[in-house]
Amino acid sequence: MTGASAPIEIAQLRKVFRQTTSGQSITAIDQLSLRIEPGELIAIVGKTGCGKSTLFDLLIGLEHPTAGSITIGGKTPYDDFNAFRGKIATIFQQDRLFPWRSALDNVKLPLELIGIAEDVQQERALTWLKRLGLEKFANAYPRELSGGMRQRVAIARAFAVQPEILLADESFSALDEVTANELRKTFVELAREFKSTAILITHQLEEAMAVGDRIVVFGKSAALLADVRTSDWDRADYPLLREAIQNTLQANAPDARLKR
Amino acid sequence: MISSLPRETIISIVLFAAVWQVMSYLAPSLGIPAFAIPGLGRIAESLTKITLLDVAVTLGRVLLSLVVSFVIGLLVAVLMYLSESVEKYLRPMVRILMAVPVVSWILFAVLWFKGVEFRIVFVLVVVCAPVFTVDALDNMREVSRDLKQMIRSFRPTPFQFFHKLMLPAITPGIITSWKITLSLAIRVVTIAELVGAVTGIGHQLSVAQELFSVADVFAWTLVLVVLLFFLEALLVRLETHVLRWRA
Repeated sequence: MTGASAPIEIAQLRKVFRQTTSGQSITAIDQLSLRIEPGELIAIVGKTGCGKSTLFDLLIGLEHPTAGSITIGGKTPYDDFNAFRGKIATIFQQDRLFPWRSALDNVKLPLELIGIAEDVQQERALTWLKRLGLEKFANAYPRELSGGMRQRVAIARAFAVQPEILLADESFSALDEVTANELRKTFVELAREFKSTAILITHQLEEAMAVGDRIVVFGKSAALLADVRTSDWDRADYPLLREAIQNTLQANAPDARLKR
Repeated sequence: MISSLPRETIISIVLFAAVWQVMSYLAPSLGIPAFAIPGLGRIAESLTKITLLDVAVTLGRVLLSLVVSFVIGLLVAVLMYLSESVEKYLRPMVRILMAVPVVSWILFAVLWFKGVEFRIVFVLVVVCAPVFTVDALDNMREVSRDLKQMIRSFRPTPFQFFHKLMLPAITPGIITSWKITLSLAIRVVTIAELVGAVTGIGHQLSVAQELFSVADVFAWTLVLVVLLFFLEALLVRLETHVLRWRA
């Protein structure tokens, strides 16, 4: 596993949706520019409706921007859709497991899609389930697993393809606090171990601070309110950082105290 | 199999048989010809004369037509799902096909085609395929958007998208469609076989009618009903196995 090799470059990104009923336009993302380095662990935080999930869909390649671009190694995830097969993996808020597949078969799914040999699929899926403490539940169907276990399977499914880019959209916010903390820790450990570029989208500041090497704060239409490297801050200063970001989110305007 | 039937079902069948038997005794005194309501003994005698070849022929026609209908129905549904404009053109056609009475299809088949077997299969397919199309399309539309987004994020080929997600997701709906079309096909095949066929249960019903043998009509009808129940039981077994993940 070599990890991510190319940065994600977001340039002057704009996404406008037209409502089918009223015909009105909604600008979900307006002129966003951001560069994410390979192997970086970045948390994007913002209020509901600020354009975080639209950015997520654009990064996956399921939406096309209205203007601007996202390029990864000279290619765009939406125009060069198939070039990113096996390179981008996702973890969603809900586990999104196939109910008709066992835990093992759910982890195997992305491996089947990229055409890995059957015996390698089996071995790799089992290894990942073991890694996430679910080896005894390999043959269990999702309905037989708890919410936390299902999300573990979803994490195993994402890491099984050894992605260069890992996208997580509110992936831990539907879980109880203890499970969420545990899975956040696992997520960070695995992302670092495999040197994946990991982007966690969240509305919870605590979660962003627990996960990100870098915290990006979005205002309305993904306006970049703050871009902070947590390594620039001492642990002892975290309450100050938290307060500053909180103020920024509440005021919805850039905060001078965030600049170091 | 009988032991697995609910007590109420057994009682209602026995009651019906008893009422039928009493009616057959009373028929002459009520001015009804004796042959119109034959006794259970006479019906049992007709049952012993059932020719398995005719049962097998009808069963074969039903199964072949259902498989052809399913393949055509599913393919049309996939095309309609993939293209909005194809759907706009085909939906009215499918609705028209579903609105045409079975008898009209039989008459068309007689007027259009020479081969008896082809006529029967044509009628069954034209009646059953639209049901598969409408059900499959509705079921595909109802597949969770979240699951579609998840699998798309892993960039499947169009074939993988249908094979890994859509087909398993619509399987419960497809099995329900099979149950509906099976019962429909059993009823339609009988009517189709009445016209021109020289084998099959429908043909035997036609012969029984020409001979004024109500016992034979009853016996062949009973065979049809049992055949339908048997096939439905097989489908339920298949459903239990295939959908074990839902248990």
